[in-house]
Amino acid sequence: MQRRQTLFFIGILLVTLVLVVLTTLWGNKPLLGLDLQGGVSVRLTAVEPADDEMLDQAVEIIRARVDGLGVAEPEISRTEQGVMVSLPGVDDQARALELVGTTAELRFRPVCDTLPPLIGEAEPTPSSGESNLVPASCLSVSNGDVIPATGVDGLTPPEEDKAENFVILTDERTTDVFSERRLLLGPSILTGDGLSGADADFVDFEWGISVTMKDGEQGIDAFNAIASECFSSSIFCPAQAGSVRGQIALVLDSQVITAPVINAPAFEKDSILISGAYEKQQAEDVALALRYGALPVELVAENTQLVSATIGEDSLEAGLTAGIIGLAIVALFILFYYRLLGLIALTSLAISGSLLWAIISHLGTQSGLALTLAGITGIIVAIGVSVDSNVVYFEHLKEDIRDGRTARSAVDRAFKPAFSTIVKANTASLIGAGLLWWLTVGAVRGFALYLGLATILDLVATYFFMGPAIKLFSKTKTFANKPERFGLPSVGALLGDEQ
Amino acid sequence: MIRTLRLLYSGETPVDYPKWWKRTILISALLLVASVSSFFVRGLNLGIDFEGGTSYEVKAPGISVAEAREVLSSIGLEEARIQLVDEEVLRIRSDISDPSRTSEIRDYLNIELGQVETFEQVGPTWGSEVTNKAVRALIVFFATVAVYITVRLEWKMALGALAAVSHDILISIGIYSIFQLEITPATIIAFLTIMGYSLYDTIVVYDKVREIVGRLGATDRYKYIELMNLALNRVTMRSINTSITSAIPVLSLLLIGSLLLGATTLQEFSVALLVGIVIGSYSSLFIASFLVSLLKTREPRWREINEKISRKENENGSTRNVDLKDAVQIDSKPVERTSGPAKRKPTQVHRPGGGVPPRPRKKRRK
Repeated sequence: MQRRQTLFFIGILLVTLVLVVLTTLWGNKPLLGLDLQGGVSVRLTAVEPADDEMLDQAVEIIRARVDGLGVAEPEISRTEQGVMVSLPGVDDQARALELVGTTAELRFRPVCDTLPPLIGEAEPTPSSGESNLVPASCLSVSNGDVIPATGVDGLTPPEEDKAENFVILTDERTTDVFSERRLLLGPSILTGDGLSGADADFVDFEWGISVTMKDGEQGIDAFNAIASECFSSSIFCPAQAGSVRGQIALVLDSQVITAPVINAPAFEKDSILISGAYEKQQAEDVALALRYGALPVELVAENTQLVSATIGEDSLEAGLTAGIIGLAIVALFILFYYRLLGLIALTSLAISGSLLWAIISHLGTQSGLALTLAGITGIIVAIGVSVDSNVVYFEHLKEDIRDGRTARSAVDRAFKPAFSTIVKANTASLIGAGLLWWLTVGAVRGFALYLGLATILDLVATYFFMGPAIKLFSKTKTFANKPERFGLPSVGALLGDEQ
Repeated sequence: MIRTLRLLYSGETPVDYPKWWKRTILISALLLVASVSSFFVRGLNLGIDFEGGTSYEVKAPGISVAEAREVLSSIGLEEARIQLVDEEVLRIRSDISDPSRTSEIRDYLNIELGQVETFEQVGPTWGSEVTNKAVRALIVFFATVAVYITVRLEWKMALGALAAVSHDILISIGIYSIFQLEITPATIIAFLTIMGYSLYDTIVVYDKVREIVGRLGATDRYKYIELMNLALNRVTMRSINTSITSAIPVLSLLLIGSLLLGATTLQEFSVALLVGIVIGSYSSLFIASFLVSLLKTREPRWREINEKISRKENENGSTRNVDLKDAVQIDSKPVERTSGPAKRKPTQVHRPGGGVPPRPRKKRRK
């Protein structure tokens, strides 16, 4: 039993030390939020006039796009003719633009032909001719009635990539799937508005994307109309090399995201699966692009600017000073009240604090988790709750000693009920953190993550450090002879005190 | 005061919680009425993040954020958000969107700070979708926690805990409404933090109540309210210590940070947190426990005990105290219990103020 305690005690100290050293070596640092350190702001302007509702919708889509995990806490608001996006901690303006993107709509286009990759440069051609059939027949391209516009790279330039045109596009996102061949695509038959969802899905031992369409003309009906043509490989959607079926390309931003072969004549709106040996990450990226691709208005980036912190450096320094003074007072109070036990409590706090710092730094570097003022607030209160785990145990110890136990036997039995109390109370916090994380977006989600992390680390520090540490200390002579050094009453002293 | 703390430290029961409940319920009821009516009459002072407002970009090279804030304070815009853009432009956002007032401000900025380059309405960064999702999440959270507490403790405690949490949140929001403090995303996070803290604190208190009632309730010799009082007294020191350690950093932020060092932007949420921590600890001891004892006393078993004890009291005309020695841990192994309390020292305890000597313990078990 005691061996296990020693193991825990040494183990947690080692783990903490290793994580702190690794974090320092890797140079991981917490990513401070917009309010604390500023970042880059991008002003996007709508190409055509847009009402508030459309811009609000764009705000939500951009939020989802720049903040996939939901914890980077960008500041996104609608302006009079567009959207303003501010990203924390990004000092590279080009990277900010890349993150924000200015995507037009997602389009579904039938694949008319697969062209080989272009070697060298091609003569740019303007588009000519029109097809008046709906859906347009691929024959009108192959017999030369319609010629799609192409640039020097043999592809249709973005400004000519209009819904009603035939286009030649390639794929850059998943080059290994398409290996840079060019696809000749028919006019768009459906836009991203017809899509209601897309998720990465693990089916038949490989990753794919399950797509859900909306009801009606602008949704599953339009999709099925072209799907049946592709299935029968008609002139509207001819079969491509290596298959007897036609393909539908999903195009975003003049790039083919994916071009699945259609393997059924008709689909239920919620049973469309794009399969094809995707990597997990690929499948998730494709699903994300499909889900959030379509902005209701077309936006162009007007300018990017570096912005300073909203709180101001003076406030930040004042807050930091105040925080350190506050912590020092707390430390003094705990030491005064609980003596050596207080020292254990403070060490336990230092352990959970170091672990939290390591995790926040890692997530900040890897997943864009931003540490905002609100996050710091949560951590401050978490300190109180962490200390409470110690206080609950210590008070339990005192109570047992007052009830006539020796300090040692109190240590043996008080940990279990005290820890059970802590677990009960912390579980409620964890339920809250989990649900808020799962169901919300924006700043609330960041808060949920901090609350959850702090709570788990509190339990870890209590179970693996504080409990074993006191157990080990209780074997010392001082503990038995002079419990008051540990801030504990000795039975006789207590009763004498009151008489 | 010192004496009370000393008694608490030594585990006596100097605080008569049931007596206090009568006053605290009244105070809480008044606070709740004030909060709710202020919420409906005065409403909340929502910041630019929720309502949108106006953004001005002023070309003012060499002027610092602090200087700009000073200029803005003189026209009542101390809450405006000021950012330095590309080193020489000041982006000033305020929640004022009334056109005549905004152009007034623009003219003022033109004179006092520098040329106003752009001037436009901006929408909220905290969109309604964020709020809607958060509200839905909170409802699910309340339901889940109610089930959780019912399973781990009991449904009456679930009811009490949720009532206490709602009490805390309503009063915190009420204070923001009464004093018209600006609500920012940081404030909302502070409210959520309060909610978590209050719930945590209430469960710790309830667990002590459950433990004491479990140990002493079976003797049939105490009213529920007496056991509750004992449990609360035993957890009082913990509550005081925990609220002190939680409140000190926040208090330091409020006093040293925002008053002494002048960081006014920190004020908004430190007020929310401080109020929340104090109310959260208070409500566990005075509201949540009161509600549970109210519900539990109505249970047939506790009503019976109540009647029996009241009858006896009338006959003897004496007052009673909970015998602390009864609160000694009963060992979990039932074999030991029948063989007698071996580990207990037969110390005689003299209670200060109590005129009744401790009764011999009955070895009755239910």
